[in-house]
Amino acid sequence: MAELTQNEKRLLATLEKEEKADAPHLAGLLEATPEAVVQWAHLAQDKGLVTVERIVAKEFVVTDEGKAYAKNGLPETQLLRFVLPGTQLADLQKHEAFKIGFGQLRKKGLIKVEGPSVAKVPGASTDADEAALRNPSAADPKTKELIKRGILQECETVRYSIAITPEGFSLAKKGLDLREETGTLTREQILSGSWKTANLRRYDVTKLPKKAYPGKIHPYQRIIGEMREILLEMGFTELYGDIVQQSFWNFDALFQPQDHPAREMQDTFYLKETLPLPNGYEKVKAMHLSGGETSSTGWGGVWKEEKAEQCVLRTHTTSLSIQYLAQNIKPPIKAFAVGRVYRRETIDTTHLAEFEQLEGIVMDENVSFGNLLGTLREFYNRMGFESVRFKPSYYPYTEPSLDAEVYVDGIGWIEMGGAGVFREEVTAPLGIKYPVLAWGLGVSRIAMLRLGLKDLRLLHKSDVAFLRETPSYRKIKGGI
Amino acid sequence: MAVITLPYKYLERLTRTDRKTILEKVPLIGSDVERTEEDHADVEFFPDRPDLFSPEGVARAMRGYLNIETGLPNYPVKPSGIIFTTDPQLASIRPVLGAAVIRGVKFDDESIQSIMSLQESLHWAVGRGRSKVAIGIHDMDTVKPPFHYIASRRSRGFIPLDFKEKMTMDEILEKHPKGRDYAKIVKDFPLFPLIVDDDDHVLSFPPIINGERTRVTIDTKNILLDTTGTDKRAVSVAVNIICTAMAETGATIESVEIDGVQTPTLAPAERVVSVPECAKLLGADLTPASMAGHLQRMRFGAEPAGADKVKVKVPCYRADIMHDWDLFEDVAIAIGYDKLESQPPRTFTVGKPHPVMVNAALTREIFTGLGYLEVMPFTLTSEEVLYKKMQRPETPGVLHVMHPISIDNTVVRTELLPLLLEFLTINRHRELPQRLFTAGDVVLNCRTHQQAAGVSTHPDADFSEAYATADAVLHELSIDYTVKESQDPAFIDGRRGDIVVNGKIIGVFGEIHPAVLTAFELEHPVAAFEFDLRAVPGYPGP
Repeated sequence: MAELTQNEKRLLATLEKEEKADAPHLAGLLEATPEAVVQWAHLAQDKGLVTVERIVAKEFVVTDEGKAYAKNGLPETQLLRFVLPGTQLADLQKHEAFKIGFGQLRKKGLIKVEGPSVAKVPGASTDADEAALRNPSAADPKTKELIKRGILQECETVRYSIAITPEGFSLAKKGLDLREETGTLTREQILSGSWKTANLRRYDVTKLPKKAYPGKIHPYQRIIGEMREILLEMGFTELYGDIVQQSFWNFDALFQPQDHPAREMQDTFYLKETLPLPNGYEKVKAMHLSGGETSSTGWGGVWKEEKAEQCVLRTHTTSLSIQYLAQNIKPPIKAFAVGRVYRRETIDTTHLAEFEQLEGIVMDENVSFGNLLGTLREFYNRMGFESVRFKPSYYPYTEPSLDAEVYVDGIGWIEMGGAGVFREEVTAPLGIKYPVLAWGLGVSRIAMLRLGLKDLRLLHKSDVAFLRETPSYRKIKGGI
Repeated sequence: MAVITLPYKYLERLTRTDRKTILEKVPLIGSDVERTEEDHADVEFFPDRPDLFSPEGVARAMRGYLNIETGLPNYPVKPSGIIFTTDPQLASIRPVLGAAVIRGVKFDDESIQSIMSLQESLHWAVGRGRSKVAIGIHDMDTVKPPFHYIASRRSRGFIPLDFKEKMTMDEILEKHPKGRDYAKIVKDFPLFPLIVDDDDHVLSFPPIINGERTRVTIDTKNILLDTTGTDKRAVSVAVNIICTAMAETGATIESVEIDGVQTPTLAPAERVVSVPECAKLLGADLTPASMAGHLQRMRFGAEPAGADKVKVKVPCYRADIMHDWDLFEDVAIAIGYDKLESQPPRTFTVGKPHPVMVNAALTREIFTGLGYLEVMPFTLTSEEVLYKKMQRPETPGVLHVMHPISIDNTVVRTELLPLLLEFLTINRHRELPQRLFTAGDVVLNCRTHQQAAGVSTHPDADFSEAYATADAVLHELSIDYTVKESQDPAFIDGRRGDIVVNGKIIGVFGEIHPAVLTAFELEHPVAAFEFDLRAVPGYPGP
């Protein structure tokens, strides 16, 4: 049996003598309010030690208006006393009870109006009404009338009768520790040593605690952090840069032709702002037009400076990698970035106009496409995906290109991201002489799978309850 | 992306193997099988391979990949003797013309459907919505050569495809569904491109619509192909892809004389590539012979040339081969990506986090220590949230996106606090107190930097809480600051302070103004603050 509180014990000790009593009576004995006694009784009832009986009684209560009448008489009574033979209506009107009393007297047929004067009918009396006011009774029609007039009110009163059960009685008989309980241990008790004799209140450990909510990192940020950690462990340098990029760095430097569908207004967020082209942009231009000094043919057609100057919200973090490469053309380079990218997509449960992308590059003298596959395999393995496979793909700025897929139990093969070796058309104008292995990964896809979200928007417009309930703990690094 | 319908029986007949083998292997040449139905599969191919946008093209590639027929496909072309004249006035309108005669066509339901779909896919992938290339195919037996590509007055009329009455070209742009779709390509020119035969019958009004007269039906035996556009290479690619696809069905191709030149030739381009360069790029062992073998499986003509070279003949339909590495990718595909040795590079480097990110992580740690819960709001928002509800004037340097997708995504955020208040609105029904923070990017004048902000809401949230929390965070970040009374209209007068570092306001804290609370439909007081993380001593950046 769960522990009894001090108050339950006191109640039980009292009931041992009283056996059965009303709450107010017990409250008097226990020096508490009746409400508190009922609450203790309910707790003891749950343990089968007492029974609590709820008794509902109907009662008539005199309203505020009624209270005045109880003292001075009902308005009709007051007025009737005033009516003497020959009383004029005009005089009667001056009486303060006239307004209500006159109507009542007429309704009850106790007076007659004869021209300007008013007279009692023989035997006129309001005694029965006065009696109903003083001793109301549910059966009395006069009582009902007074309720209707708002002079009396019918009320329900609830009374609690508390009785000890045989179990409670035998427990009480065994003796109860009625020493004063200590709730919060005080500094004074600790210092004085009085804690030694104090009766520390016991708590019911079967009850659930009050919820406490810690401050926490967002679960999505945790996943991003995990990926950062893996890449840092693998020896990569982290990049951070501007959300707003010139089309030149977002598209042209990556050999995306100026008439490429991805560059159109319906796919990319353009801004009216422009930025001046960097020194040496002509080499990129020549590459687009004719392949520059490489074995490439280029795209041909036209290449306009104005198009390259226009600013966009970056559509990939590759715009950061390529600028980093442009500034660091000496091998070796291993770099990564996790950042928000923007696509002009209609927002729904699986599409957002902005989402996180993870991007990585490796540039060195002897790196190969096979090394790219190896790097990806290592990264995905560390993320907790044991089975990884690759298949051909297409990206305008890589050749060869691939898509990586990982196997997830219960779901199957899931496409995780694209990768490839930067085309020579991309690297040559920047003066880079060695292959650049590059890959990109959608971070939110992993987050959605791991957090069991059906709606991607909840990553960014989160329900606080969801954040509070999602534990920080993860068994192993990585995986879904 | 182009999704191509592959009817099984037709594909099996062309590939000369069973559907199971084809569908199992087709992703390995670069595609995604979108769905398989009872009689066909829908397969998505990449935009750089328009030669795979037809069952004929897929069958050709798969025969190679499956070793049924390898090496360069041979497409003989003989002259038709037909001349196509061009009008010099078209130079500024739609200068490029390509054409071919396709004879001995034997259409059935699949092959006529296939050629129509191929035409549409090419319009999209190569033609950029017909502006760069537009293709017309005609029943040649309804017209009389020579043909003429002319710049015509806009009031000239003819009966367009799918219509019964004659319409002027201006009317077509207004009333014909294709006219309305593509009017923007030509509508500003004084004259319109038009193709007519020697009797002045209209074949086509490129890039809009063909004439009804030359409609191709299942009974058509001989085809005249016209391809017009603005880019010579793109026009030629479209002609080559259609002609070679038709040749795969057994038709014969004849050339046409345009400006004294016979076109098309369907001749391969030649490239001599280095075997060691390819081996090094892929990380694979290759000899000239093995590399030539891989390329032949990918339908290139390839033979060893000397000790370390391969001479490659690139089929005319392979528009994507711009550079030697494009061939190397095909070698990798022939080997199989999963058969390449995959080892991480031996490159040694030391991992280095970006200081901005290190600082952001530290800021997160401080906030969580104070019991704050992190949220990650969108960076795209609206003037309504950023300024109007906050009672603040627009921040100078805010960026407006030119074509927003909705009224909720018109600007890039310049502050974080309004987005936190929006969060409190979303979570009004959740248990209090709520203490939320975010640390992340904001953009001013095209430059990105990071800020941090926190809000606390409960019945007793007040100025003192905002001050105490802001002070704790700033202290932990070693930001040495002073405070002066703020004028920020988002806060209550007398309960707001500016955070000042080196004489510059870098942040604000206080009790949110009741009118702002009302605008965000909040019922409890909010203690809030926001500051610029660039105030952290030694913070990196410009």
